[in-house]
Amino acid sequence: MLLITCPVCGNVGDETDFHYGGQAHIRRPASANPGEVSDEAQRDYLYVRLNPKGLHFERWRCDRGCAKWFHMARDTVTMEIKACYGITELPPREIIAQIPPSNPWYGFFDQRQAEPASTAAEPKNAELESTGER
Amino acid sequence: MSEPDFASPLHHRTDRQSPRDLAIGLAEITDLGMIDLRGEPGDDRFLAAIRDCLGVDLPRLPRSSARHEAVTVLWLSTDQWLVLAPRADTPALVQALQVKLAGLHALVCDVSDMRCIIRLSGPEARMVLMKGCSLNLLAPEIKAGFVKRALFAEIAALIHVVDDDPDVIDLFVFRSYAEFAWEWLLRTGARNALVELYGEQNPPPV
Ligand SMILES: [Zn+2]
Repeated sequence: MLLITCPVCGNVGDETDFHYGGQAHIRRPASANPGEVSDEAQRDYLYVRLNPKGLHFERWRCDRGCAKWFHMARDTVTMEIKACYGITELPPREIIAQIPPSNPWYGFFDQRQAEPASTAAEPKNAELESTGER
Repeated sequence: MSEPDFASPLHHRTDRQSPRDLAIGLAEITDLGMIDLRGEPGDDRFLAAIRDCLGVDLPRLPRSSARHEAVTVLWLSTDQWLVLAPRADTPALVQALQVKLAGLHALVCDVSDMRCIIRLSGPEARMVLMKGCSLNLLAPEIKAGFVKRALFAEIAALIHVVDDDPDVIDLFVFRSYAEFAWEWLLRTGARNALVELYGEQNPPPV
């Protein structure tokens, strides 16, 4: 059983107090015109998910606390929770630095970290849209 | 248009008044109205409007509540509160809030009939509740004013510690689960079902 601390309200509880929301940081194909999005890109966005052994990034919801979504960096082997961070945020830099080359997340955040703030905001919004607050 | 007529979700039960052989006091609270309030806590105009209307600052600390005369405000989230007021005053209060908050990014909704409030009282109330949820209600920080959503007997609930000397605890459950929660409390709160499993234990005799 995972023991989780919500980064929004500080609620501490076991995992039945929270709700798992699947993989985090899913990028919606960045186009206002659906016709421009290839079938492969749309398929990847909807269905293709990472399944790493080791460090993984997930969405969780604080069901029995503030009811907000947040992000979690978790090791799928040791079940250790490395970090919990805001739903609009990228993982802490020191966590990103821990991703080994064998992990499918390797390099995923490089481009987004390098982007200037103005353009980096765009994929973030797209990401929020796909979160689907319940 | 016909006027809505409030009926408690437990109205058909004959054991609503002072159920017998219980280790706890059990009562349904029907005279409280509830208002769902959402807004931007960083907006001073929103906070000021609420203070004007309710006479109390919104509780900003997680799991806390605030009280002013007949109005109690429970923290539900960083941008959501549940306002409790006498049921008869609730429609007027909703109206007043809506007028005050016009033009602001806020929401006021009368949800008086959405939940059923079951009041547990007495020194065993926390023990009985702990049989149904993972919350450690014996923790010293759980004092009067404490509010928390909880998974209680497999259903979504809200726990509000109204008073702690002696204990008075309100359990909010969604209306459609009221009967289940009531039955659960009747059985689990029965005097001969009481267990002293929590807190400091004496070592077993050797
Ligand atoms: Zn929370």
